[in-house]
Amino acid sequence: MPTGGDLLIIELGAVVLGLAVVARLARRVGIPALPLYLLVGLALGEGGLVELPASAEFIEAGAEIGVILMLLMLGLEFSPHELVVNVRRSTLAGFVDLVLNFAPGVAAGLLLGFDPVVTVLLGGVTYISSSGIVAKLVADLDRIGNHETSVVLSVLVIEDLAMVLYLPIVSGVLFGDTLAGTILAVTISLAAVLAILGVAYFLGDRLSAIALSQSSEALLLTLLGVTLLVAGLAGRLNLSTAVGAFVVGVALSGDIVSHARGLLLPLRNLFAAVFFVFFGLQVDLSLIPGVAVAALAIAAATVVTKIASGWIAAARAGIGKPGRLRAGAALIAHGEFSIVIAELGIGRESDLGALAATYVIVLTLVGAVLYQFADSITLPARKPRRARA
Amino acid sequence: MRKVTETDLPGVGVRFDLQTDAGRAVGVVVHQSGRRDLVVYDERDLDRACESVELSEDEGHTLGEILGGSPVLEHLDDAIHRLEDLVISWVTIAAKSSTAGMTLAESALRTRTGAGVVALVSDSGSIPIPAGTERLEPGDVAVVVGVPSAVMAATRLLTRPG
Repeated sequence: MPTGGDLLIIELGAVVLGLAVVARLARRVGIPALPLYLLVGLALGEGGLVELPASAEFIEAGAEIGVILMLLMLGLEFSPHELVVNVRRSTLAGFVDLVLNFAPGVAAGLLLGFDPVVTVLLGGVTYISSSGIVAKLVADLDRIGNHETSVVLSVLVIEDLAMVLYLPIVSGVLFGDTLAGTILAVTISLAAVLAILGVAYFLGDRLSAIALSQSSEALLLTLLGVTLLVAGLAGRLNLSTAVGAFVVGVALSGDIVSHARGLLLPLRNLFAAVFFVFFGLQVDLSLIPGVAVAALAIAAATVVTKIASGWIAAARAGIGKPGRLRAGAALIAHGEFSIVIAELGIGRESDLGALAATYVIVLTLVGAVLYQFADSITLPARKPRRARA
Repeated sequence: MRKVTETDLPGVGVRFDLQTDAGRAVGVVVHQSGRRDLVVYDERDLDRACESVELSEDEGHTLGEILGGSPVLEHLDDAIHRLEDLVISWVTIAAKSSTAGMTLAESALRTRTGAGVVALVSDSGSIPIPAGTERLEPGDVAVVVGVPSAVMAATRLLTRPG
């Protein structure tokens, strides 16, 4: 008879092994694994095939850590200076992207009769592409050298930065009771974010030098400790833990970055997968049929608006039509941020979880396939691409 | 020198593009990790990389030498041409040099040679117009400006003992 502790380990082992199987499958087929992790979560959750009584709490904590690690790694990709340069250069493209892609979510929220806050959350869900998935797709398809790739990356940077303002605002709105309370909460949130970003901008180099250590064990513990603390405090201030972790990543620069990436990547991969499983677990499978049509419609609208915003951004950068289409298709995949945003609103609107999960799964699979075959869509007469090994 | 366009790839590195007279385009992606991708663009879609070859930093240097000098050197020719009797030189500070580890002020490079250090370049970034308190770390590159004899003297101080 297994004791509680044994059962926890057995359940975790089974879940992780299940994820390993879908990760291998995804690689074989050439699609991102993330939507499949969500599917695993859906299959295991409420109303699913098997329930996980012993490990639910552990998975929940793991999911929190997963968000923090994902955002920390994302922040590590950028230096504060790079962010500033990018915003100056791509403001218009970023603005077009924001307006076009908030629209499907907001429109859907209004049509479905969600309350205003949930409607704004749904706008965020449709707005934000997945930097993680897009970057991986670009690398896997050997398109880093393509001219449209710089445009795609710039748009993603702006989106991620927009999240740094958006998440504290919506958190403030979610937690404020009265109008005055809400305005106060939002003001405090934004002031705190700007203060932290200011520290990152001016002191990032020095702090990074202090944190750097020859011992990779000491470095890993330092990074994790600092990030969890800052993220936790940010969460306390209703800034969202995600934003706290992102800012820590941005603040780190110089030699420490490549060490940190190597150390954190395996942890990130594990806990990010746990995060998607956890989100799937929270979603009641029986709700999905009711929202499926809406999710598909919003996904279809997002395919159009993302292609449009990528097209416009690439055209402004002087890129030809095939490249514009590739830029648009690259931006379709949604992932971590969409789910993080949806999670904020699950308490207010139970349909939001099922809607977002279905939406992200469909959109990301469609996006990956469209981006892969974007070239054959434009110019069918061209010689076929060589089969990839 | 031919016009090379430089494009930032946020989170990845920098891309350099060159268009040939024959209408082809080639590029190099320099990753933050030091990895380089040599990219050849599609004839019919100049934005599409049809071949991308990954090179280590070392392989990149070798290929660069085969293809003929470094762009920095060509840049230098260009600069010398325009500035008449001024020379700009990129000098790697040698560990055995008597000035290695000193601050710029301690080395008294300008008073001793007449050449000035206008920038210090290290792996972690570059310091334009360095103050006297900046250190001449071995392995870093000092960008030295002056008349040819002064630059030669400064190069000797930065690279040789005594």
